[in-house]
Amino acid sequence: MTATLPTATAPGPGTGPGTETPAVPARPTEAGGLGRRPAAPVRPLVRFRSSRPDLLLCGALLLVILAVQGWNITNFPTLSDDEGTYLAQAWAVQQGAGLAHYTYWYDHPPLGWIQVAALTYLPSLLVPEWMTVAPMRFSMLAVSAASSVLLYVLARRLWLPRWAAGLAMALFGLSPLSVVLQREIFLDNLAVMWMLLAFCLAASPRRHLWHHFASGLAAATAVLTKETMLVVLPALLVTMWRHSHRDTRKFAVTGAVTACALIGLSYPLYALLNGELLPGSGHVSLIDAITYQMGREGSGFILTPGSGSNGVFRSWLYYDTVLPLGGLAGAVLLIVTVRWSVTARALAGPALAAVILAVVAMRPSGYLPAMYVIQALPFFALVLAGGAASVTHAVLRRHRAAGRRGPGLWVRRAVLGVLAVSAAVYVLPRWYEGNRTALTVDANAPYRQAAAWLGREVADPAGTRVLLDDALWLDAVHHGFKPGPGAIWFYKADLDPAVTRTLPGGWRDIDYVVSSPTVRRDAADLPTVKAALEHSTVVAVFGSGEDRIEIRRTDTGRTDPESGS
Amino acid sequence: MGGLLYTSVFIAVISLALFWMAAFTLWWQMHAWRTPETLASTRFDRPDGEGRLAFSLLLPARHEQAVLEHTIDRLLESSHTDYEIIVIVGHDDPETTAVAERAAAREPARVRVVVDHHETKNKPKALNTALPSCRGDIVGVFDAEDQVHPELLAHVDHAFRATGADVVQGGVQLINFHSSWYSLRNCLEYFFWFRSRLHLHAEKGFIPLGGNTVFVRTEVLREAGGWDQNCLAEDCDLGVRLSSVGKKVVVAYDSDMVTREETPGSLVSLLKQRTRWNQGFLQVYRKKDWRQLPGRGQRWLARYTLMTPFMQAASGVIIPVNFAVAVFLEVPVGIAIITFLPMITAMVTFVFEIVGLHDFGRQYGLRVRFVHYVKLVLGGPFYQVMLAGAAIRAVWREQRGRNEWELTSHTGAHLTTVPAASAPASAPASASSAAIREDSRP
Repeated sequence: MTATLPTATAPGPGTGPGTETPAVPARPTEAGGLGRRPAAPVRPLVRFRSSRPDLLLCGALLLVILAVQGWNITNFPTLSDDEGTYLAQAWAVQQGAGLAHYTYWYDHPPLGWIQVAALTYLPSLLVPEWMTVAPMRFSMLAVSAASSVLLYVLARRLWLPRWAAGLAMALFGLSPLSVVLQREIFLDNLAVMWMLLAFCLAASPRRHLWHHFASGLAAATAVLTKETMLVVLPALLVTMWRHSHRDTRKFAVTGAVTACALIGLSYPLYALLNGELLPGSGHVSLIDAITYQMGREGSGFILTPGSGSNGVFRSWLYYDTVLPLGGLAGAVLLIVTVRWSVTARALAGPALAAVILAVVAMRPSGYLPAMYVIQALPFFALVLAGGAASVTHAVLRRHRAAGRRGPGLWVRRAVLGVLAVSAAVYVLPRWYEGNRTALTVDANAPYRQAAAWLGREVADPAGTRVLLDDALWLDAVHHGFKPGPGAIWFYKADLDPAVTRTLPGGWRDIDYVVSSPTVRRDAADLPTVKAALEHSTVVAVFGSGEDRIEIRRTDTGRTDPESGS
Repeated sequence: MGGLLYTSVFIAVISLALFWMAAFTLWWQMHAWRTPETLASTRFDRPDGEGRLAFSLLLPARHEQAVLEHTIDRLLESSHTDYEIIVIVGHDDPETTAVAERAAAREPARVRVVVDHHETKNKPKALNTALPSCRGDIVGVFDAEDQVHPELLAHVDHAFRATGADVVQGGVQLINFHSSWYSLRNCLEYFFWFRSRLHLHAEKGFIPLGGNTVFVRTEVLREAGGWDQNCLAEDCDLGVRLSSVGKKVVVAYDSDMVTREETPGSLVSLLKQRTRWNQGFLQVYRKKDWRQLPGRGQRWLARYTLMTPFMQAASGVIIPVNFAVAVFLEVPVGIAIITFLPMITAMVTFVFEIVGLHDFGRQYGLRVRFVHYVKLVLGGPFYQVMLAGAAIRAVWREQRGRNEWELTSHTGAHLTTVPAASAPASAPASASSAAIREDSRP
């Protein structure tokens, strides 16, 4: 790991002008300048847009990634309540109905689903019925594509050789864990895209002041998309510091920090302008929301068997162990060897990001969301690819006199071949299995059937009130249920005073409950939902076992001859 | 409701216009630090050792007997071999003339004295008086209180030959940032202007030149008819006229080779100096030489640069009003957010000024203390008020003076009153030095 990458030379002077020819000659003097320029940076510079091999490799990988992530995207993985929530909020933005389909209470900064709204705007205009979770997953393909390309560019800007950049992109886009998570409409995927953009700009080969400034803007956008990105900012700063020039660094870095802070402050500013910054009676507030999020009950230590965090952790490892565990191990190794290894210094930023995210996930008192790992995936991929490049270099070049050939070289190549083959033998079958599931299994038939049932069997949707989770909420709205008080996101029946007011009779004011796994899991803490489940009978069941979806009619005594199973 | 809509649209339009203005200004102000390569290209190239061009250095001096001798001595220390110093004195100024004659007697091969017999005196008249007697290939202009680096001529010589330039503008830097809150900002204006923005102007082919440490090929200068005697910003005007006909201007800035000056001795003299520059800018704008510039972008840069003092004055007033309207009137939140855009650019500018002050201290080996940063930030709005005042004064004077322009070239009034007000020996580098046409930023 402490080897020197052939292309990962330290930035700036120091590696000796004789050992490498600068890839980019000093540019001609601009008009008005007097001509003295610093020596061209002694490092290869990637002109991505004009490098045909790079474009070809990146383009080919992109097609594969899009094919694997896009195929069967609507059927796997299972639609989640969170996806439904973000999309419903995006729908509310599109409708001009505010920032959420219920009262926006500063649970997250709204920029994430505003972007989802923009992404899905055109398709929803063309075919309004598509504005439901499954079809709109296709919009996430665009995000995946952007992130993958940015990751490739970043790898090249961090001086990884071409094949290693391709490896990073493949690891990032094709790990079964990535395939599953990047298909879903999660804000984390958008935030990752912005953060990768920020890293790319921070590692700008031109070391341009306004590239670094833009990096700050992109980073702020990432944080406003998903606030947990905040913890990655130090790693971004490290990257920018290493990639800026001594003479202009103070302007570049200060500019980036200022840009990031000013854009970040627009969120509290928004709350302030709405009179919702500070807590008060009768309105939501940013401070309240932060207090809630910080005080959210922890899901236990990630390594304690049986804790919620451990369950989430195991669900990640179920899909893939190579990327998360290998990536984390590689990141720790890079951080430890940063004094000796050129690769470690080149990848210090991404490695630090991976380590910080891991440390934050290890908080015993913290709450660990299922999509948390998404933010770490690109950094894991970069670190793994960098490690592979480093090992390759060590095997091929270490202690070898320049230009000498002979039997030693063949031994080295053989060793490298064995290493590569054994890595492939270990990884490929597992990934094949994981991705085969993602490409073939239909996990969402019960949801589709339940949605169809609501549209088909309920005679007067406009006058019917149904509790359901957000994965189905937009389907219900498209079938004519009134958004808000008619199609009720089940949490709101108990938690949103504006909704509770419309249910003076409690469960008696509700006609149907669509009982999905999420509803059954969380009903314990929601009295109205719980009562509705208890005072209702199943009229239709889709699927079986834990994942079944039941449609239950409440026992209000009202007879509704037209609806029935 | 309709009223609110109009208010919202109006505020949004104003805010966006201000935002773009501030953003462009900031973009240009930070020109030199764009990339390490840009920064390196703003410096003088190392001279190749031998000076080949002959210099005629013009040194107009008026009631400046206290500092003139030192300035001449310093110029005589120059490492260059081929130059003459032409001191221009007024026929009504025997004290300064005596100092100049003494120096000429000591160094007859180097120093000559030219007497300006104009009834009303100003700097362009003095310079034009001396122009016919220049023997060198290059005419250089300095002010009587300038501290000129001995290596400067060798560097300028090399710059002329290496780049084929018609004009070379060296750096001028106010140094006494610790004197007062406004001198701090004044120094920083010079720093951003000469260190950074002038290079952009040179690159774009439209440049308002500075008043000293400026070097022009003698034949180019004679061809252009010398300086405009009726313009309050004759140096800016010269730059605009030369660059408008495609002459090549090169700017170079080295912190150890700049001409050092001091800020005006009082806020009032700073205000007067700024008024004169602004009025000069207006005159240059109205002379319309810049219209000959070939590129549309160049013409817009010219328009914008010459009008900057006035737009700045306007924005200094509009930004707070706009902000107050957004906060206190019930406009939609989206509109309110837009009104913050100019504030955001202003804040970014502030931050870059703080970093600039730090860099300034580093470049000149000066100790910048925490209190100076505080002064920089707190002084910002007040300096803005001063700039706005100077801009308004300039417009008012220009309007009032328009009729009598042909009758009495009233320029002299300013040029004589201003130095008289503020040119005691203790503050030699006063308003009499029309150093640069500074268009500052908030």
